[in-house]
Amino acid sequence: MSAPDRRIAVSPEQAREEDRELLRRYHADDDTGAREELIERHLPLVRSLARRYAGRGEALEDIEQVGAIGLIKAIDRFDLERDVSLATYATPNIVGEIKRHFRDKGWAIRVPRALQELNASMSGSIERLTGRLGRSPSIAEIAGELKTTPEEVLEAMEVGSAYSTVSLSQGPGGDEELDPLETIGDEDEEFERSEQRAALEPALERLPAREREILRMRFEEGLPQTQIAQRVGLSQMHVSRLIRKSLQVMRDELLRMPPGAG
Amino acid sequence: MTEHPERIELEAPLAGDFHAVIRLIIGGIAERVDFAFEEIDDLQLAVERLLAEAGRVGTVALSFEVGTSSIRTRVGPLSESAVAEALRDGDMRPGELTLRRILQTVVDSFGVEEAEDGRIVVRLEKLKGLP
Repeated sequence: MSAPDRRIAVSPEQAREEDRELLRRYHADDDTGAREELIERHLPLVRSLARRYAGRGEALEDIEQVGAIGLIKAIDRFDLERDVSLATYATPNIVGEIKRHFRDKGWAIRVPRALQELNASMSGSIERLTGRLGRSPSIAEIAGELKTTPEEVLEAMEVGSAYSTVSLSQGPGGDEELDPLETIGDEDEEFERSEQRAALEPALERLPAREREILRMRFEEGLPQTQIAQRVGLSQMHVSRLIRKSLQVMRDELLRMPPGAG
Repeated sequence: MTEHPERIELEAPLAGDFHAVIRLIIGGIAERVDFAFEEIDDLQLAVERLLAEAGRVGTVALSFEVGTSSIRTRVGPLSESAVAEALRDGDMRPGELTLRRILQTVVDSFGVEEAEDGRIVVRLEKLKGLP
């Protein structure tokens, strides 16, 4: 018998009041726990909006990830003076982020539909083969399972590895881009920046908790992607993309940081 | 010792747009050696992180020596002092995430050679079928 659902239903008005209190704690008191709670509370909204864009050759979990960035931006930018619910305010932010993601990737224009579909089906194939073989499959094995050629699998891998350059970790300051000229410092600053780049951990703190944990498992525990995928409940392909994206985000963050920061 | 009879050389622009092409080529080479999906991903990540530190101006030379169960890759010459600094031997604090730690995790061995012009070339070796 399944455990009873102990959640207590709350009215939309109550939910809105709770959101406002959490927003107040985050914006007025710098309570990052409140921010995390707001993100958790509104992830179902992100999932619901992401589903509208499923079936376009992009894995649903990736669309949700992009939508979550829109949610975080909405939470960070929310003005307590506004007489609007967070859900209402966040919806266009989430949809906008997803649309921008598709536009940036140019799926419809540049990627043949067959390759999009192959990419979408690869994730499941890799999981099945990994389970069956007890190891990471070869490209030939994936191609055999999907009845295609190794070259097409490689191309589909590359299609899936493209990602938006939007940072996962923008703070409450918004997403203003630095003028490239502002990032050019004098010699000492450049030297210091080089030293920072030798060690990425100042930027590690700015990643979401899940990405930090994935990087820790991969580079500290030395776990293979297959095991990490099992632990965090994601596909191996998704773990691979998160690792690559997180490392790039961290490097981009370091270049944005003023010398000596972190 | 593994023989490396096949050699592939490539010179590519450092501009980011070409990183995906380089990844695709690495995938194609590694597939010929029957590397697993994850092993290919590791080698691609190693090269990608080096290129990310190498700037976006000019070109970079890559060479691949393809053995029966391994690929030796050379990337360079790279001029970024940060790359050399990040790969320098020395104590690493627990939890420290450096380029060196990343390469230690994703390839089986790596090393740095000094090129004639003072720049560096990074050697990577990835073996098939090792945990």
